[in-house]
Amino acid sequence: MKNLFNQIKKEFKKHFFDYLLLITAGVFFLIGLNIFKGERIIEFIILLAFSSFYIIWGIYHHLIKDVFRLKIVIEYILIGFIVLFLLKIILIP
Amino acid sequence: MEKLKNFFYHLFIPNEKNNYKAKALHTDFLFIYLIIAVFLTFSFKKINVNNVLGFATDITVQKLFELTNKERQKNNLKSLNYNENLSKAAYEKALDMFSKNYWAHFGPNGETPWDFILKNNYQYEYAGENLAKNFLFSNGVVSAWMNSPSHRENILKKEYTDVGFAVVNGILNGEETTLVVQMFANPLNRNIKTNNYLNENTKTFVKKYNNYDNQKNVVLAQTTNNKNLLNWQIVFNSQILFFIFLIIALILDIYFAEKFGIIRIEGKNIAHFIFIFFILISLLIISKGSII
Repeated sequence: MKNLFNQIKKEFKKHFFDYLLLITAGVFFLIGLNIFKGERIIEFIILLAFSSFYIIWGIYHHLIKDVFRLKIVIEYILIGFIVLFLLKIILIP
Repeated sequence: MEKLKNFFYHLFIPNEKNNYKAKALHTDFLFIYLIIAVFLTFSFKKINVNNVLGFATDITVQKLFELTNKERQKNNLKSLNYNENLSKAAYEKALDMFSKNYWAHFGPNGETPWDFILKNNYQYEYAGENLAKNFLFSNGVVSAWMNSPSHRENILKKEYTDVGFAVVNGILNGEETTLVVQMFANPLNRNIKTNNYLNENTKTFVKKYNNYDNQKNVVLAQTTNNKNLLNWQIVFNSQILFFIFLIIALILDIYFAEKFGIIRIEGKNIAHFIFIFFILISLLIISKGSII
């Protein structure tokens, strides 16, 4: 367990700005959802924006790290779309 | 037992057989999850088309009534009686909101909640109204009302003796919406002057939209009928379980990859973890609608 936290800490220190950006986007995502509670279409747009940001973040992060591979991009796209389609069932059935 | 152990080992622990990455996180498995998600989305859409108006929730009048009285009992107040006339008034109020496309206590032409109550032959001494929309669950609705001072005041007002509810689906502002209308009152004692009670602090706003007799905005509202509709509790819980499954898979993959000293070129599991964690929290926010 200690190793896990050390690994996470190391990764955060190495790419501090990148992860800060991602977490900040996540926080704004939650704030946006809270403000527009009950407005389904707006909630879906906010979710779409966060998913898109996540995919773009993944591409940018791996580009600057110089380990940009199509397989990695596909991974981020798949996770983004899985989340979008699953939450769409609740937001816009 | 051995087979099961190997199955979970292959699914969650990076090793030679799964190319040093948890199988649950492989691109092909992610693709399978996506296909299932797309299939579920379109299945729900098809089921919704077969109903008059699709949006289903897990909100029922019975549950709202029980939860309201539970709150009153907790505060040593008498339980409210379910009143058909107040429920009819609540239902007509919901229909009015859909037909005139507004989300407020007062209608665009000056309709008050009291008009609906009086029209349904209920002469009141005190009366009140709580509204909610786009919640998924009954306890979320009552919880949100109880967390709002003005709505809480309505629920816990000792003068009220009767309550009526309406849970109605329709199209409001171009989106499928579930409206919950709760009306409180006590019968008029002719010797006592009538009082309207809608807390002065309650914000009311009226959105005026053109073309509310446009075909798209035609009211096809009906009372929620959960008989043939899907159980949204199952849908909601399944999504939470799936995201927890993904988070566990990610944590295990990160841990064992570090423990075994595996170096891989792949997407950042920590980033995936952060993203799905925020989505998990968002599910809790999305289950709540808005109240007025």
